[in-house]
This record gives sequence, C-alpha cells and structure tokens, in this order.
Amino acid sequence: MKEQDDWHLTEAITHALGRGDPFAAAVRATRMPMVITDPAQPDNPIVFCNQAFQSLTGYAREEVIGRNCRFLQGPDSDPATVKAIGQAIADGRDIAVDLLNYRKDGSTFWNALYLSPVRNDDGSIQYFFASQLDVTERVEAQATITAQKEVIEREVALRTADLKEALEVKTLLLHEVDHRVKNNLTMIGSLLRLQARSIADPQITEKLENMLQRIDALATVHRRLYESDDLSHFDVGAFAANLVSDVVGASGRTDLRVTCDVDHVEIPSESATAVGLVLNEILTNAIKHAFSDGRAGTLDVSVKRIGDRAMIRIKDDGPGLGGAQPPSEGLGFVLIKRLSRQIGASIDWPEQPLGTLVELSFPVSG
Amino acid sequence: MPKAAPLQVLIVEDEAILVMDLSMMVEDAGCMVVAEAPSLPSVAALAKDLNPDLAFVDVQLAEGSSGLEVSTLIQQRWPDTFIVFVTANSKSVPADFGGAQGVIPKPFSRNGIISALRYIEQGIRHPPPAEPMPPSFTPAPALAAQWTSSTPVHR
Repeated sequence: MKEQDDWHLTEAITHALGRGDPFAAAVRATRMPMVITDPAQPDNPIVFCNQAFQSLTGYAREEVIGRNCRFLQGPDSDPATVKAIGQAIADGRDIAVDLLNYRKDGSTFWNALYLSPVRNDDGSIQYFFASQLDVTERVEAQATITAQKEVIEREVALRTADLKEALEVKTLLLHEVDHRVKNNLTMIGSLLRLQARSIADPQITEKLENMLQRIDALATVHRRLYESDDLSHFDVGAFAANLVSDVVGASGRTDLRVTCDVDHVEIPSESATAVGLVLNEILTNAIKHAFSDGRAGTLDVSVKRIGDRAMIRIKDDGPGLGGAQPPSEGLGFVLIKRLSRQIGASIDWPEQPLGTLVELSFPVSG
Repeated sequence: MPKAAPLQVLIVEDEAILVMDLSMMVEDAGCMVVAEAPSLPSVAALAKDLNPDLAFVDVQLAEGSSGLEVSTLIQQRWPDTFIVFVTANSKSVPADFGGAQGVIPKPFSRNGIISALRYIEQGIRHPPPAEPMPPSFTPAPALAAQWTSSTPVHR
C-alpha cells in the first residue's frame, strides 16, 4: 500500500478500535489543530484535517477537504502576513506567524500558524503540514499591554511636561527673588552711605562704615549662593577668598599683602550667612588692629577641611595680643560669639610668637 | 602740565536713592555728573552735544524701558562714550554686552565704584589702564582683549 493513501485509509479507523497506523491515530486525536495540504493538486488544497481543527474553526471535515487554507481569512487578516505565508510555500520553507482567522460563525481568533513542507526521499515537497493554535488570549493580552503602555507613556509625557513647566516657573521665580534681594541690598547700602555723609561725628561714621561692611558681606554670601547651581551648599573656601579681597579693597589699603590658601569646602547654605558675618568681623578687626596707623603687613587666610569640620585660619603679622585675652566688647565681638555658637563653631586665638592667629572650626554638614 | 578736565559722567538709573548715592561717589572720585536720566525717553531728550565720557546704565529702567536700548541710543548719538551697565541682573546682559564696555554688578560698594571709576578713567585717557582691574568691574569680551592682553603704549 502506498504511504500517501494511509490518510484516506485511517479516515475509516477509529482509535477506539485500536487498529491502523498509530501515528495517524495520534494526529487525529491530538488537541493541536492540524491540516495537511497537497501542493501537487491545483491550488494546494487541504487533504486532511483533524478533529481539533474542526472544533477550532467550526467547519466539518467535508467542508474543509479540497479547499485552500485561505478560506479561514477575512477582511481583518493582515495582507502582509498572508503574503509572507504564500512566499514561504512558494520557497518551500517553513514559517511561523500569528494571523487573524475567521470561524464558520464569523467570529475571529488569533491563529499561531506553523507551516512546514514535508519532503519525500528525493527531496521534493509532497505535502505541507500546518498546525494551528488559538492564541487569541495571548495576542489580546499583548494588545492590552501595548495599549496600557501607550496610555502610561502618554501620562508620563504629560507629567514630565508639567514638571518641566513647574521647574521653569520656579527657576524664573528664583531669578526674580535673586534680582530683588540684590536691588534691596543695593538700596540699603545707598541709604547708609547717604546717611553717613550727613554725620559729622567720626565715631558714628565709623559705625555706619562697619554696618556697610556687614551688608557687603551679606551681599557676597548672596552672590556666591546664587552663582552656583546648587543652592543647598556653599563653598566656604571660594567665599573666604572673595570676602578677604572685598574687605581689604573696602579698607582702601594698598599696603596690605594678602595670601589665600583655600580648598573647596562645602558647608550647608543655612550656615553661610553666619559664617560670612563672623569672617567679616575677624577680617575687619585684623585690618583695624594689626595694621593700624598705616602699618603695612601681611594677612594669611587658609580654609581647609579636617575630617568632618571646616577650619578657617586668619593670621596677621601685627603686634598681636601679647598674651592678653581677645577683646570681648563691641557689637563685632558679640556677633562673633553668638553666630559661632549658632553654627556650632569653636573659635580660638592660639598664642603666636608674632601677630595674631584666629582659628574658626565648625561642622561641614548640618 | 595742566590737570586733565574731570571725566564727564551720565547716570541712567530710575531709583532716586541710587542716583544720589552714585552721583556723590562719582564726585568723590573727582569726576563730574553731567546728567541724570531715569528712562530711555529721558536719555533721548538730553542735549545732543552732551557727549559724556562715561555712562553708568541700569538695565531695568522707568517707563518699561531697557538699559540695552539706552546703550544702543548712546552708541548712535555719542559713539565715543564708554558704557558700563550697573545691574543686579547681569544675566540679562548679552554675551557681547550689546556694544557696551563693561558691567558693575549690584549691590555695589563705595570702594567698588571708586576703584572701577579710577580704572576706567585711566583706560579712557591712556589705554590700557596701568592699575590692575578691580574685581567690581567686569569688562566686555572685546574690551578685555584690548585692555588686558596689550602692554601700555609709551608716548
């Protein structure tokens, strides 16, 4: 008996009888829908379909045999996929695709189609074997996921745009606040200078000058804070270098040599104003006492990080304290004491063979 | 040698208190304030032959006018005037300073204004200035190239 007739023969066999070709019986009984087509016949018709195929598509065997597989396609079947299947058959190679198919009752299902040629001994194609699998749930789940992903992506894009806009508004506001603070500091300075002009008493004029100097120190703190991108931290090294040049400049003294040895030491910006004012007082005092009566000299400023503390050293080569306690009167010293305490700083005047050394040490993190 | 005539300064600023303060500091520095104006129209209304040596120009001015427009007007009318923006908003000054020569940022200090004036006066009379540039003055890129790279010309 010729092998290709086995299909027809087994048609008549029920596996309950336990006869015939066991492979054919298995194909017949499997839950996997399967068809076999014969490319030797015109339009490559189906010559076999199993029970599972009939259950999946709703067509009876006699409605299927003799027809080309394309009867399962409908208006929403993807033409590109259909074309790919046609090409695979023409090329005699296998193909696996997902294709929307139609049942007899018009309902649709996603068919995970696997199609492969069956070759005989001389290598020519005798049959095409095709298995179908209803993957509607998987395809729909995927479609749902894709749709949800799109919704989420749209939502994320919208939120990102909102946040960007909020950030732009915040940046604009910050810029405006910066501008206004600077204008107000300018105005305060101008008012004090105008007042100082109308006062004949040199002592009061000097106090006003000191006040102007403090306001300039605040302005320097503000400028350095807003020049950086990070408003939460403050480089006390660069600030000290800046401030010493401002204070020496403001004194109008050209006979003072300044050396600066500063590292980049970041402190929390909450401490910036207090550190700025304390430094201003120390520097102003050094210039006033160490270099009084036009005495020339050198001022050394260093800022280092030692462990988790910032260490600022200000040294002059003036007459020094001579073993005496540092002066403890006047607003300047009150400011040094109180503001140091506020930022947890320790301040010390170590004995020097020459001049005065002030050491200010405070934690770098809040 | 007769002493040079004082530098003639125009102040364009809409805040009266700052005008008073700036004027007095300019006079303290031995210069002369030849006019004050709070806005672009006021500058336009100044005498055509005013021809100041130096103009201090705020960026945000009265009547919604801008110091950048004032700078343009001054350059058209008095091409030799040295223009310095005095502003709390340095970021609003274009990268090429719109043809102006420099910026003094607000808040300014007395020392900052006086030393900048001294430096600018030297630069106008005998460029480039002999003194080092004070930190209160930021030159325009074109001026910086002219004043800081070349050595003083001996005459």
